[in-house]
Amino acid sequence: MSDAFVVLVTYAVVYGSTLGYAVYLHFRRKRAQ
Amino acid sequence: MRRVQIMLLIAALALTGGGYLALTAPLDDLQGEFTAMLYIHVPTLWLAFLAFGITALGSIMYLIGKKPRWDRAAEASAEIGVLFAVVGVFTGMVWGQAVWGQAWDWGDARLATTAVMIFVYIGYLALRRAIPDPDVRARRSAILGTIAVIQVPLVYFSVNLFRTLHQTQSIRPDGSTMDPAMVVALVVNVVAFTILFAALFMGRTYVARLEAARATETAPAGESVSPPRLKEIEDV
Repeated sequence: MSDAFVVLVTYAVVYGSTLGYAVYLHFRRKRAQ
Repeated sequence: MRRVQIMLLIAALALTGGGYLALTAPLDDLQGEFTAMLYIHVPTLWLAFLAFGITALGSIMYLIGKKPRWDRAAEASAEIGVLFAVVGVFTGMVWGQAVWGQAWDWGDARLATTAVMIFVYIGYLALRRAIPDPDVRARRSAILGTIAVIQVPLVYFSVNLFRTLHQTQSIRPDGSTMDPAMVVALVVNVVAFTILFAALFMGRTYVARLEAARATETAPAGESVSPPRLKEIEDV
């Protein structure tokens, strides 16, 4: 694996995890309403 | 809820700009492409520090005023703080594997203190789930949230107190050891991630407010009435 690929995958994990948390909050809000 | 969506949109735009600057900033001679790890590793762990600071503030305010909204703020901030701390450590491990040749070293003061900090805040969240009574839960977790924040300066200054593997701060009061373009990219990413934190924090406290209202509505009659406290009986 090239260095740039590893860096890009790490960026994707960081952005993806925060996006995943936002989606989780969305469904938790739906359930609470 | 509209405000949360607007904040998320602003955060997405800021992160896009930050990501562009991060991937086009000058590279360090030794680290090459892995220099870009700086622009996600530092902001995520900075946000963990900020989040745990807000947890302490919310905890102290709750202990003073007993207002449930401070308890909800402390909980929301701790949850997001743990998320960012775990993500930040992950980026550090990838970076460490590439630059140091090892992802983790328990002998390193910064890594060990950060791990302990994460474990304590996971414990804080576990404690909240273990106590069903909202008043008892809020009071006990506020005490832990107030004490646990001592780890934030301990983690931050661990690189100065114990010289082990992790480097010291690159931006100090007397100047920076980085290229100005790198400093700009780092600052933009720190601001972008802080906006993201604000959006997630607003969303999380909104959900907590809804859940608290729902719990009050759906509680059985016997549970919605608090038993009299001993002091109240004595006063009568």
